[in-house]
Amino acid sequence: MSRLYVILVLFIIFILEGVALDLLPTRLVLSKLVFVPHWVLMFLILQALFFEKKGSYYTVIYAAVIGLLIDVVYIEILGIHMFTYALIVYLVLEAKGIVLENFAVTIILGVLAVGLADIFIYFIYLVIGIGTVSWPYYFIYRIVPTIVANIIFLLMLYPLAAHFLVKWRDRNAESF
Amino acid sequence: MGFFNRRRLFIFLISFILFVTLIGLSLNSRDNLSKPEQAIKDTVGWSQQLIHTPISSISNFFLNIKDFKRTFEENKELKEKLASYEGVDFEIEKLKDDNEQLRQTLEKTDENVMDYHPIQATVISRSPERWLEQVTINRGEKHGVKENMAVITAEGMVGKISTTSKHTSTVQLLTGFDQFNRISATIYHGEGKETIGLVEEYDKEEDVLLFRIIDDSSERVKEDDLVLSSGMGGVFPTGLVIGKVKEVVPDQYGLTSMALIKPVANTNDINHVIVVDRSLETTDEQGDEAS
Repeated sequence: MSRLYVILVLFIIFILEGVALDLLPTRLVLSKLVFVPHWVLMFLILQALFFEKKGSYYTVIYAAVIGLLIDVVYIEILGIHMFTYALIVYLVLEAKGIVLENFAVTIILGVLAVGLADIFIYFIYLVIGIGTVSWPYYFIYRIVPTIVANIIFLLMLYPLAAHFLVKWRDRNAESF
Repeated sequence: MGFFNRRRLFIFLISFILFVTLIGLSLNSRDNLSKPEQAIKDTVGWSQQLIHTPISSISNFFLNIKDFKRTFEENKELKEKLASYEGVDFEIEKLKDDNEQLRQTLEKTDENVMDYHPIQATVISRSPERWLEQVTINRGEKHGVKENMAVITAEGMVGKISTTSKHTSTVQLLTGFDQFNRISATIYHGEGKETIGLVEEYDKEEDVLLFRIIDDSSERVKEDDLVLSSGMGGVFPTGLVIGKVKEVVPDQYGLTSMALIKPVANTNDINHVIVVDRSLETTDEQGDEAS
């Protein structure tokens, strides 16, 4: 049952990504800085850390499915987000076994995940010939604002999501 | 254990192959989306509309407050402009009449390339990935939207339709144009003088469109000259405003010159757009029936 809640939240965040630019102040949107919302990935990380039971890899499947949905609806080149998000979530789940679960670690993992995901996606675009900006330009105007914006989103989501996800996980465990 | 566990490596390789195939398939110049993709887009489009309506009304509310503060100055400016428009209005009316009469004497009754049928649409979402610069609008095949139609706002051209489904369609914005989306365009110098060329792609680092000047008259091109679609590509009608010339530079081989063009329409803040249906084919059919 609580899995349904998680799916619903994921879907709502996925829809919200499409209006993300409307939510930002106009002055920021018009500047040269580019903010790419990876909100779905942020929630997937929280899900991997707080909802996933030890040793299982269900979140990777969630990541692949919602990634495919993003590709179909927003990108129209299938596979990019599907593969990237699944890979990143897999790495986060691997890291989960090594590190402690607390606030600081979550933020650090968030920064690393967004950075890696965005660079990976840029690399794919570069290979298929769509991304045409140079690497230094990319690092200054895209990756830094993107990481900052997504971490702000993660900070806003953290208290709520951590609370509910743990609750849902425990209820899930009881029902089995 | 770890990453090089055999089973895991196997799954990883399989998914990598799947990933490459998927990208290859979807890049392989498809004409339009497959049926399941269209179905997903329509379903998601419906829920996007549900969320977009309240959010855009809230953000519009704040914009309105900002607009109120500027109203006084704007009003003054507009009144000055209005005075000069009255004369122009009269002139246009006269020219239209003239044109109509001349066409009749020539027995040229087919539709003008400047004519088009507008389809009003609302933007319901924007691709979060900023490489491709796409927006989704709430009009699709059911409403007569077809691929490659031009999309404009009140300010000027913003893009073209890249794919359609039943109830929604995707617009490729000018800011995401690459070498596969060229527009045949002209630079208008005033007094009937024009320079022909192609709008080739968008330079993301400089925020300008690259315009390749085809006939060798680059010395005539001045700053702030208007760039209009020429209608010669057969896709877009004539006279859609694309942008203004910012600078003229030689191209990378030094053989021809490129004009750097600043788009007039702001593609970052669009809510309502008009899809331009240049229905030339339908008029051809009508002509056949008549004869």
